[in-house]
Amino acid sequence: MGATICTDKVILNQWHPISSVDDLKNNEQGNTILLEEDLSFNKISDEEVLIWKSADPSKKLLQAKLKYGYLWTTLGHPAPDLFSFPEFYEIDRRNVATGAFGVNISAGRAIENFLDMGHFPFVHTGILGEEPHTEVKEYDVSISENDDEILATKCQFYQPQAAVASSEGTDVEYIYRVPHINCAILYKSSPVDESRQDAIVIFVQPVGPEKVRAHTGMCIIDDKSADADIRLFQQTIFGQDKPILENQLPKKLPLDSRAETPIRADKSAIAYRRWLSQKGLTYGVIPSKDINLSRFT
Amino acid sequence: MLKLYDYELSGNCYKVRLMLAFLGLTYKQILIEFYPSKQHKSQEFFKINPLGQLPVISDQDILVRDAQAILIYLAAKYDRQKRWYPTRNPAMIAQISEWLFFANDLTSTSSAARLHDGFFYTDIRIEECRKRAHELFRVLDEHLYFNEQQGYSWICHSKNPTIADIACFPYIILSEEGGISRINYPAIRRWCDRFKRIPHFTVMPGVFPAGPDKTLDK
Amino acid sequence: MDIEFSKWFPVASTSDLPYRHIFQAQLLGREYAIWRADDGHVNIWENRCLHRGVRLSIGINEGSELKCQYHGWRYANRTAGCTYIPAHPADAPARTICNNTYQSQEKYGMIWTCETPDGTVPEIEGFGSYTVLRPIPINSSYKTIENFLTNVGIPKHQFVKSKSTVAWQFKLESGTQISFFIQPQNNNISILRGIYSLHIEGAEKIKILKHYNSIMVEIRDKLEKQDSPQLPDLEPKISQVSDQLSKIPVYGNQNQRFHLRVTVTEKVRISDNIIKLKLKSIKEQLPTFHAGAHIDIQLQNGLIRQYSLTNGPGETDHYCIAVKIEKNGGGGSKTIGENIAIGDVIAISSPHNSFPLLRNSKHTIFVAGGIGITPLLSMAKALHSMKLSFEFHYFTQSQDLSAFQNEIYKLGKNTNTYIDLTIDQTLSKIEKILETPSPLNKVYVCGPGEMIENTIKIGNDSGWNESNLRYEYFKNNNKIDNDSTFQIELARSAISLNVPSGKSILEVLTENGIKLESSCEQGACGTCKVSVLEGDINHQDVYLNSSEKRKGKVILTCVSRAKSDRLILDI
Repeated sequence: MGATICTDKVILNQWHPISSVDDLKNNEQGNTILLEEDLSFNKISDEEVLIWKSADPSKKLLQAKLKYGYLWTTLGHPAPDLFSFPEFYEIDRRNVATGAFGVNISAGRAIENFLDMGHFPFVHTGILGEEPHTEVKEYDVSISENDDEILATKCQFYQPQAAVASSEGTDVEYIYRVPHINCAILYKSSPVDESRQDAIVIFVQPVGPEKVRAHTGMCIIDDKSADADIRLFQQTIFGQDKPILENQLPKKLPLDSRAETPIRADKSAIAYRRWLSQKGLTYGVIPSKDINLSRFT
Repeated sequence: MLKLYDYELSGNCYKVRLMLAFLGLTYKQILIEFYPSKQHKSQEFFKINPLGQLPVISDQDILVRDAQAILIYLAAKYDRQKRWYPTRNPAMIAQISEWLFFANDLTSTSSAARLHDGFFYTDIRIEECRKRAHELFRVLDEHLYFNEQQGYSWICHSKNPTIADIACFPYIILSEEGGISRINYPAIRRWCDRFKRIPHFTVMPGVFPAGPDKTLDK
Repeated sequence: MDIEFSKWFPVASTSDLPYRHIFQAQLLGREYAIWRADDGHVNIWENRCLHRGVRLSIGINEGSELKCQYHGWRYANRTAGCTYIPAHPADAPARTICNNTYQSQEKYGMIWTCETPDGTVPEIEGFGSYTVLRPIPINSSYKTIENFLTNVGIPKHQFVKSKSTVAWQFKLESGTQISFFIQPQNNNISILRGIYSLHIEGAEKIKILKHYNSIMVEIRDKLEKQDSPQLPDLEPKISQVSDQLSKIPVYGNQNQRFHLRVTVTEKVRISDNIIKLKLKSIKEQLPTFHAGAHIDIQLQNGLIRQYSLTNGPGETDHYCIAVKIEKNGGGGSKTIGENIAIGDVIAISSPHNSFPLLRNSKHTIFVAGGIGITPLLSMAKALHSMKLSFEFHYFTQSQDLSAFQNEIYKLGKNTNTYIDLTIDQTLSKIEKILETPSPLNKVYVCGPGEMIENTIKIGNDSGWNESNLRYEYFKNNNKIDNDSTFQIELARSAISLNVPSGKSILEVLTENGIKLESSCEQGACGTCKVSVLEGDINHQDVYLNSSEKRKGKVILTCVSRAKSDRLILDI
């Protein structure tokens, strides 16, 4: 594989998203940065995309995978399969890549913000939350040993105009999954069909330790809204999160429990930090000095 | 009814939304997806603006493109008190015009840096943009500092804010998305606070509201 | 640059802190949020919210508190203590969350700080009056600027050896002085600040400011053209929180008690010392209550307080309470006075009523003292609307007179307000009020403990039946003795528990998963009352009247204990 700028095995041995499939054009070279390395890629057919380090004269190919609407690659030796995301293949759903956004922050901070409900009334005022409905109720967090992923369930949060049919706000149920150190999926009741859940994804591409491309996407039941409207909605939400993310100090995610002050609403974030610590991740984070990592309450 | 060809995350469109809010005008929003689909470069949109740029406003049979031009148009036509753009005061128009051109320079520097960092406009020479933006900020900070010393709260020597303030505000307040910190422009930061306290001020993604003004407080 | 940490540096001009602004500053790699509260105090805090590290300088200066933009956490002026966490209105943060604060001194028109201060801001000779020049940020190190000022200087100004270690002083021929200061923001960027040794105004001031601005800008331009070596930036310094704060607080039993969420929709000062709060439910209909009821409020600093509802009948869409702000009082009234704002969400219990209004009396006499008026007001409103006979006597101090005047007025004719009476005058008034006892009438009294005791005594002496004298204490002033150790047996559930010294019956029950309603937990409200089947009780409450205590059939489990080895409780 050759020398890499990043030396952290944990992050090297992962699949990373580098482009949405929508953005790939046949025989048109694209360029991006992953873990501080310039990469080039070229789609030669619907099944095959070539990826190589831009600076490599021999154009030695990196592994490529087209999955969940994205092109994935790696600079290391990851497990062959990506995490499961069955909803992506449900035939009555629409998969909309809602855009990639550059953010000057670490991947961990971006994921943590995605898991956070408490900021809805303050940052996404009138859309995902509004005062005085600020309370984050108790929810459950577990780390699944089998799938090695974090699962937060029974999350509830008040959302104004939660359903298309109603102008009233109501509590919306959320389920969060973190199946990959830099990827998270949230499920929430569909505004058009209460019995089904929409999935919203964030796949973060670590450009550098403090710089990411956040790929966002939706996998939804709605068959009425235009793709552009769905994208514009997601852009508004992300545009509101961005200045918060870029004003976090330090930019790297601190894994030491004494770096910040968690409250019960942060249970999933704390599980995430411990999980990253246990994996021994050092890239884009400030590693923990805690000795006892196993304790999770 | 007024129609605005608009993109939520565009600072230039935000200028027009601010003007419309300050003037209390209602309008129809036609969303044009600038990113990622580049709808503003579509054949359909070229019919509205052959330059392929946002924003554009249509007012009955009049079509106006370019944020600064739209500000002039809206203020000249709809501001009865002639505060935002005092058409009968040539000296003030001269001052305002200087800063409207300055605002254009902010677009080619601060806004460009934001497009580079946030929207992957990789052909932008980022370091040059940031350097030039800092030069502009130094000029504006010094100007605003001495305005304050002389009792002026706004960019021009006027009691009220003008369209010059509106034209400059978005790409200053969004500068940090392009990696241009405002920590060393305290007069600009104070002006930003004052700007946010103008009645009917409205935010966009990336812009936070300020606390209440003294006069609105008990 | 270690030595610099004990040195004072200017980090802002006074004019950088206008009304409700938050100034972002940096010194030696550390960022500060500097803000002036409405009372004039200048706060210098680490520029990050302790919760998720978001810069506080993008937050909102609310005058006495600073609000973080991310989750709405609020931090208090001066102490930097967190006063409100909107995500958990019912949390009792037994922990104090406090941001890191730094020394702040205002001198020579500038704000100074120092990480590990050794003394105060040094005196700079010849600057009894001054004008602050426009500070100029320079992309140069402290050393580079220092060398320039020391070795090159400025034209037409003579360098004067300064006694202070922080100032570079220059003198003009006229004798006027200029003093420069260097604020090292980071290794490669500093701010050149200056002051002029005369206080000047108007056009002259503008002239001087512009003159020195161009001199300092020239210095900047010269230095920035120099090819000086770039040092690596200092890592931003970030403080750690305490071990206690690093853990997620446990979801307590308390939280179930405070299950209602209300927002403060009105906060009005109705007299010098009394604040009225109107609380509206966020979602569900508020539970019905009866006149005389109180609610428990979980305050943002973890304290729990009881307040009587002052609502009249039919006012079902909100609760009203009145809070007396004790000048030297505890955290409860202080928190409500200072930290609760309109729009805040607070957690409250359902209303408890251990001071019920019996509506079967021929005539009812209310005797209210001070803030003790609150439950009686609600009762009187109820009787008034039912057109039942009552009289209302209110003893108050003139400073609080305005508080309830309007509401008393609405109660009709049978009201008397007595202002600023001495104790003796009060007692003789009460004697007069209670002079004709009747088994068909009832007396309700609420006020300071001493007043209640005296009223009961007067009532008893005048021949009133004890059960017709009804009262509610706001607090229990008895010294609680909790040394004893004894057994309790729960008759209905056949459980036997040991109550060790230092723990109340209520605590032992709660620990063993037996839920019992409670409220004040100091023997005043009666909520945790249970029947006793066997055993001698050591009553320590102020809720039960003396005949109830004599009979020994009920106990307040929060404070009272056993005299005998065991008690059999009817639960």
